[in-house]
Amino acid sequence: MNSNWAEENLQTIRTLMERSALYRRALAPIMIFVGTVGIVGGIVGWRLQINSARSFVVFWSGVAVVALAGAFLLVRRQALKDSEPFWSPPTRRVAQAMLPSFFVGAMASVVMVFWGNDFSPQMIFVLVWCWAFGCGIHAAGFFMPRGIRWLGWIFIATGGLLLLVGMDPNIDFPVILNSPHLLMAAIFGGLHLAYGIYLYFTEKKNPVA
Amino acid sequence: MNPELFLQLDRVIHEKGRLAIMSMLAASPELSFTELRDALAMTDGNLTTHIRALQEEGFISVAKSYQNRRPLTTCSLTTAGRKAFAEYITLLEQIVRQNKPQ
Repeated sequence: MNSNWAEENLQTIRTLMERSALYRRALAPIMIFVGTVGIVGGIVGWRLQINSARSFVVFWSGVAVVALAGAFLLVRRQALKDSEPFWSPPTRRVAQAMLPSFFVGAMASVVMVFWGNDFSPQMIFVLVWCWAFGCGIHAAGFFMPRGIRWLGWIFIATGGLLLLVGMDPNIDFPVILNSPHLLMAAIFGGLHLAYGIYLYFTEKKNPVA
Repeated sequence: MNPELFLQLDRVIHEKGRLAIMSMLAASPELSFTELRDALAMTDGNLTTHIRALQEEGFISVAKSYQNRRPLTTCSLTTAGRKAFAEYITLLEQIVRQNKPQ
């Protein structure tokens, strides 16, 4: 008997245990849906000139609810199709990992809805959500495919870049940086859509645990 | 290699398919039949046979319910199963340590 068999067995056990704890739903359709909602929301907000701080936050909170509800329905449909429980342990872990960051973002939104007109907050809203969302999906990345952590970092870095660019008074901003709606569309819509398309071509068709 | 340790390994768990099932269940509170089947690329019949063997040994419990009017079978490790799995791992680690060059 090969003397390495015990070590190989342990390695197999470790791999299987890690795989068991991993979130398994196909992310491509979810990311594509969320990305499309984000881009459509940005264009609608821009065209309708929803510019006051309060209406901006309320509008984008509505967009987030639509995106979240759609994502939940897609996850539920996948679970039903696979005869698996929707609220599975990996789903619970991912939700728990994302919750603190989303809570911070939601609280910042509430503050802006009630006191937002006292300061120019749309950009702060974009910034706060960029970071909160990035932190949330990075945390969830410990239970999801490795690539999603990169997406988290891209959100966080984009927020930082936005802050640096916004602080320079000499920069003549392109139209996209002057419209928070288009910024939201580009960051939340564009990044999700790009990641969704990437996953569409790289994710296994029948993802396994 | 000390054959004593090898002989102490639980025969039921040591089989490849059943060890895979135990490993998956050890890292998750429960898993559905389809999750296990897809993850381990087993046929329905093969998985059913292994699950039955582990169930008879008292290592796993099987719960049947309905979700949206579809039958849902979920498996989880029992306390005895978790203990047996931990002992199995400990023995494997001892064997690995023994085989390591000093």
